[in-house]
Amino acid sequence: MVDDVSSYIDDIVSMIGEDAEVEREELEKEFRRFLEYGVPPDQAKRTLVKKFSNGKKVEFRKLSEVKPNESNVNLLCRVVTVNPKEVKVRGEPRKIFYGLLGDETGVVPFTSWSSSISLEKGDVVEISNAYTKEWQGVVQVNFGERTSVKKVEDDRLPEVSHEPKPCKIADLHTAFGEVDVTVKILDVSEKEVDVNGEKKKVYVGTLGDETGKAQFTAWHDFKLKKGDVVRVVGGYTRFWKGIPQLTFDDRANVEKVSKEVEVSSKPVPLHKLVERRGGLDVSVEGTVIEVREGSGFIERCPECKRLIQNGECKVHGKVKGVGDLRAKLVVDDGTAGIGVIVGRELTEQLIGKTFEECKRIASEEGGEAVLRLLRERLLTKRVALRGNALGDEFGTTLIARDAKVVDLDVRKEALELLQKMEGES
Amino acid sequence: MRRSTAWRVFAGEYNDASAVVKGDGERVPSYVITPLGAKINRLFIVGVLTDVESLAENNELVRAHVSDPTGVFALYSGQFQPDVTKSLLEIEVPAFVAVVGKARTFEPEEGMVYVSVRPESVYEVNPDARDRWTLETCKSTLDRIEAVKEGLKLSQPNAYDLTKMGYSRDLAEGVVKAINFYRNMDVEKYVALVKEALNYLVPEKGGEELPKVDVKTEEENKESDDVDDTVLAIIKEIESEEGALWDDIVEKCMEAGLDRETVEESINSLMDKGLVYEPVLGTIKTT
Repeated sequence: MVDDVSSYIDDIVSMIGEDAEVEREELEKEFRRFLEYGVPPDQAKRTLVKKFSNGKKVEFRKLSEVKPNESNVNLLCRVVTVNPKEVKVRGEPRKIFYGLLGDETGVVPFTSWSSSISLEKGDVVEISNAYTKEWQGVVQVNFGERTSVKKVEDDRLPEVSHEPKPCKIADLHTAFGEVDVTVKILDVSEKEVDVNGEKKKVYVGTLGDETGKAQFTAWHDFKLKKGDVVRVVGGYTRFWKGIPQLTFDDRANVEKVSKEVEVSSKPVPLHKLVERRGGLDVSVEGTVIEVREGSGFIERCPECKRLIQNGECKVHGKVKGVGDLRAKLVVDDGTAGIGVIVGRELTEQLIGKTFEECKRIASEEGGEAVLRLLRERLLTKRVALRGNALGDEFGTTLIARDAKVVDLDVRKEALELLQKMEGES
Repeated sequence: MRRSTAWRVFAGEYNDASAVVKGDGERVPSYVITPLGAKINRLFIVGVLTDVESLAENNELVRAHVSDPTGVFALYSGQFQPDVTKSLLEIEVPAFVAVVGKARTFEPEEGMVYVSVRPESVYEVNPDARDRWTLETCKSTLDRIEAVKEGLKLSQPNAYDLTKMGYSRDLAEGVVKAINFYRNMDVEKYVALVKEALNYLVPEKGGEELPKVDVKTEEENKESDDVDDTVLAIIKEIESEEGALWDDIVEKCMEAGLDRETVEESINSLMDKGLVYEPVLGTIKTT
């Protein structure tokens, strides 16, 4: 039973206001009755607050405390940005709005599904009956048909300073608007591009911090050099198949800092990689749970490198195929699974057989024999992989640049784990 | 639709599962939620294929069993997976196998749930593969035990807070569901299960680098096994729902002619084997 009923009652009283027309004793009686029925105390509290506040006094929430999957959310906040968007809902075209809401505690994205709501950038609004969802690890506020939005006086809230958000590379996918990162430049080169007929110099390369790596494009010469550690304030992120790309121009503030930044090559748990959809030059580890059909000795079209079947290319017709060796794996660490594509040289190393040997096996025993060999050598093995990971609607696929089988001393690890557990109990 | 995770779960945990989340519509998968919150649509098992039996004509339905250190998985393969069914029938038992499969449930009546596996692939492997899987599954199970403990600490268990602690979305959702579904969850049971599996990987805890353990002759071993059997029988006899008091066990065993030291040693050995555990200090309960 809850022993601190009175502290809950205190909370309720302070929320509905001292002048509410209800006695403390009555509140306590109703509260205890809910508890007897097994209603969690927090829920009982909310129910009573709702019942006795009579809609007179609405409790506004701070954006930083709002969690996903809440309903009946009331907010007092400022519209930071708002954009219209045409979507199809059950085949019907519909105009929705999306953007950012802010208060002094933070900024969150919102989507308005209701056609009757009008919002202007900069408005301070009272929102009642909104609901929240989660999208890619971030809370999102939604307005539905039952949500009402009321514009109120501007001075109800201080101006939301929409400052660039301090961010790690691994969190870029959850950032909105401008970001503030401290990174090491891993490589950079100058490129000339054509912008509306005008030649412009851009600086492209890769950068990273202790959580990951990203590509970047600078539209201004910040004299970046490989090995520099810089703080970039006011860059924007975009993603290509889950690979983060940071873009910044002369409006950004870029300064060299003397801090040392260690760029990580630590393996990322697969569920994190899959949540981010992809990543630039990531390291992962997992168990090979499947070696897919299409692995082993294959033949490609000499013209377009496409896989050919029965000596025929889909585009170029009958051709003399060029042999190749590859592995298409499913690697899973128990938290998520990804596809992995391993090219010829790495496959040779992984299975300890050369391309020529595989070619001979294929011609003597058939292609199936090479696939069997790959399965024999790789299935159930733990592998360490490195490469670019690309995400699409079918999941995440890593194009291996490094791949090796991890040697495990099972007995030693088991013993260590056992000793650790015995130490704890 | 993205690939669903292949969970590493011992038979001892999987077979305890009775929470089912049914997806509606073709593309929404169904899940089995284990007591430790594994939210399983697909799983990866390496174990010993012990028997394969044809249940219908023309091998339209085949049942097989795969054993791990904690229990047995039931596999059902039918006419819609002809390749897998064929592989199962061709493998000579006993054999080490790696299986990727989908979670299936059978509910003969309301509230009664039997879980099984519909294999998607079956390959013969070597004993090393089984040991690697067992170790990996121990680690996964310990992660889930930890997640459940974290979940129980929250005043209102929710997936959002758990994902912020670093757990995967699937596990976070599974843990919340498990906490709400399985009342009086006995996490210690699964700690014992992991210990049992780990002991299986280090059968002789001797060796130079390890703490000294009395090396017993085979005869002594047998003798201590007999003692364990006696003690276990006594515990079973006197335990209630909550278990049996340590002192009561010792007393009863001493009446049966064992000395105090032997009894206490034997209770510890039964705990190591995962046959009994200590739900609260001073109380022993069989698993």
